[in-house]
Amino acid sequence: MKKIVMKFGGTSVGTGENIRHVAELVAHYARNDCKVAVVVSALAGVTNQLVDIAEQAKKGDEKKMQAFTKELAERHVTAISKAILNKQLQKETEKVVTSTISELNKVLTGICYVGELTPKSRDYVLSFGERLSAPIVCGALKDSKFEAQFFTGKDAGIVTDSNFGEADPLMDYTAHRIRLTILPLLEKGVIPVVTGFIAADQDGVVTTLGRGGSDYTATVLGVALAADEVWIWTDVDGIMTTDPKIIPSAKKLPRLSYQEAAEMAIFGAKAMHPRALEPVIKAGIPVRIRSVFHPDNEGTLITKEPEIKPTEVVKAVALIKDVAMLNVSGGGMVGAPGSYAKVLEVLGKNDINVMMISTAVSEANMSLVVRRSLLSRALSTLEIALLGRGLVSEVTAEDDVCVIAVMGANMQGTLGVASRLFTTVARAGVNIRMIAQGSSELNISFVVKEKDGETAVRAIHEEFKLDKA
Amino acid sequence: MRIILVGYGVVGKSVTTVLARKYAEKVKDYGFNPKVVAIADIDGAVINQRGFSPEKLETIRQRGYPISADPEFGRPRMSALEVIETVEAEVVVEVTPVNIKNAEPALSHITTAFKTGKHVVTTNKGPLALAMPALTELAAYNNVYFRFSGTVGGGTPILEFAKRCLAGDRILAIRGILNGTTNYILTEMSQNHVTFQEALTNAQKLGYAEAEPSMDIDGFDAACKVVILANWIMNKKITLKDVERTGVRDVSLQALEEAAKRGSTIKLIGSIDGDKPTVKPTEIAKTNPLCVSGVLNAVTFFTEYAGEQTVIGKGAGGMETASAVLRDLLDIRHKLATKPT
Repeated sequence: MKKIVMKFGGTSVGTGENIRHVAELVAHYARNDCKVAVVVSALAGVTNQLVDIAEQAKKGDEKKMQAFTKELAERHVTAISKAILNKQLQKETEKVVTSTISELNKVLTGICYVGELTPKSRDYVLSFGERLSAPIVCGALKDSKFEAQFFTGKDAGIVTDSNFGEADPLMDYTAHRIRLTILPLLEKGVIPVVTGFIAADQDGVVTTLGRGGSDYTATVLGVALAADEVWIWTDVDGIMTTDPKIIPSAKKLPRLSYQEAAEMAIFGAKAMHPRALEPVIKAGIPVRIRSVFHPDNEGTLITKEPEIKPTEVVKAVALIKDVAMLNVSGGGMVGAPGSYAKVLEVLGKNDINVMMISTAVSEANMSLVVRRSLLSRALSTLEIALLGRGLVSEVTAEDDVCVIAVMGANMQGTLGVASRLFTTVARAGVNIRMIAQGSSELNISFVVKEKDGETAVRAIHEEFKLDKA
Repeated sequence: MRIILVGYGVVGKSVTTVLARKYAEKVKDYGFNPKVVAIADIDGAVINQRGFSPEKLETIRQRGYPISADPEFGRPRMSALEVIETVEAEVVVEVTPVNIKNAEPALSHITTAFKTGKHVVTTNKGPLALAMPALTELAAYNNVYFRFSGTVGGGTPILEFAKRCLAGDRILAIRGILNGTTNYILTEMSQNHVTFQEALTNAQKLGYAEAEPSMDIDGFDAACKVVILANWIMNKKITLKDVERTGVRDVSLQALEEAAKRGSTIKLIGSIDGDKPTVKPTEIAKTNPLCVSGVLNAVTFFTEYAGEQTVIGKGAGGMETASAVLRDLLDIRHKLATKPT
């Protein structure tokens, strides 16, 4: 019997109908020789709404808050009526949802009165999304005549540090506790339904896992339960060679290595955050990304070893929009130890994440890529901190650019990849503004003008025969 | 250094004795000024935030149970958990009885101590056998020290020998006689030709074996020690369920006699190498340094550079185990003193 942890994202449990479908999927595998543990996200959009309402509550807007919780209750009650048919189960689930929402109401009221939103109370508010969705999924499973039990991440035994908003699980302690709470149920054939994204610190205070979210919960659970596989059910068929919106002939990648999958994080919501992959990498548990809408499609399997025979060196190409490029230059930077560090320190201190860096051995300039929404702040802080001090003479910016990232583990040690890549781009008539490649050789990233982005991606996709994969 | 003592059985009492004895010497030679600020037992506690004097500790010991009956410092019904949470101290010494079912209450005592920023010294194998990777992680996260040298070999410094004396060398395998009771039984059987049952009864009369002897003779105690050695010395993240275990109930006199003809004997050997860790009756040559008699323990470390190293010593006893606690306390005191602030 296979042990599988299945995680369902927000769109998979967006409505009552979808939840019913999810329950049917789980039931199918539970009937066919699988022991399934389920991890669920909040209903689509709910977590973002909670972020907003927490901010509103801080401003003391009690009316908005009341309206919100009322609407939230309605949405979940509607979902219950569609997801669960048995009246008795409906009633039970409604009771859980209602009492959870009244708790949320109290928390938000508290924030209203205090007028303060600490990272701790913010995590508490955010935890309600999953706490509302899990009982419905659990009820739907019971409706399909399965024994199921829902857990918050805290009750399941996921213990993290107290870094609210971005908590890290204490893996060994967590594994120890999950083996006491979830494992015995799983072995008895009960389906545990665990809230994704949320956990608690060692004092029992609610934390959230931040980047990686519910996927992270799924992999942590997978490791603790010694699962055979972790399945991430989502709304796409798997990880693609590129964005099908740009290139309709984009293909699904059947297999990836952990390293490659980690490089694909820039594919955004369609891939997995490297942080969520960490637990399974250590334990060597395969992860499968697959679509709830096409369950017969096997999806993308992520394992330790990449597929046996490499056909092409490049596996995927991504286009990252909404970025901007900064150029910091000045003769004073040449030969001055710590000059790059100063630039990065200024950005770091102002919460500006640097996505890509390139410097030449001449040391007279440094190019950086940041999110476009952060550009004006980045530009301004750099100017204030660095101009006129003899180090930096000019800071310029371009916001009409995009990044193209080319990935594949087999690029490592293969001669001529860069030459082939850049020849292709040149032949397409596209000028390259900036290049970066780490010595891991898993990824080559470069910047082109935004208007050339799709042309370049198309040319690369064709050259490396990604549509034939 | 302020100490909370949790558990007041044979080992607990011995700990207070060892701490109280030659008090001035400890301060002078080691800069170690142990102050027992609380003792918690199953039916209550005694607390003195300024520390009990050696004389007072002796009075408490002589009065016996319940310790909370002390007119001045007694706290009837106060639980150990409450003591750990509320009494100020640097170290908790956990010496409650072993429970290998769920390791409680020791496991909660230890995690609570960690949470409240207290270092822990324990002689209790239960929590380590069931949750050692979890506990080492939790101690590191809370930035406290966790020491347990009394869990393996009693007073014989087996863990320290491997960890410190063999530092830098690579330990490839560990084999050893890790349980005194079964070794006594097997020695009796082979030397005096008595049956297993007779040998067990003798061991019980002499106080080597419990009335309920399963922990020893079914190999649980040895398996717990294998878990501790594997985690601490060889960095294997295992727990009790990962140890393949066979006890000594089925070792026959005949098998022992046949082994003797070959110049060997049968011992209950715990073993860790590349494969699955095991505890099982194993035939070994009488010339093997591991082949010790009576209640002795012996452990051989197979190292890459230094070859085979065997440590032999008495594996149990109240004062012996208390000496391990003292060692651990001194180690923590030393670590704290040299820690950059």
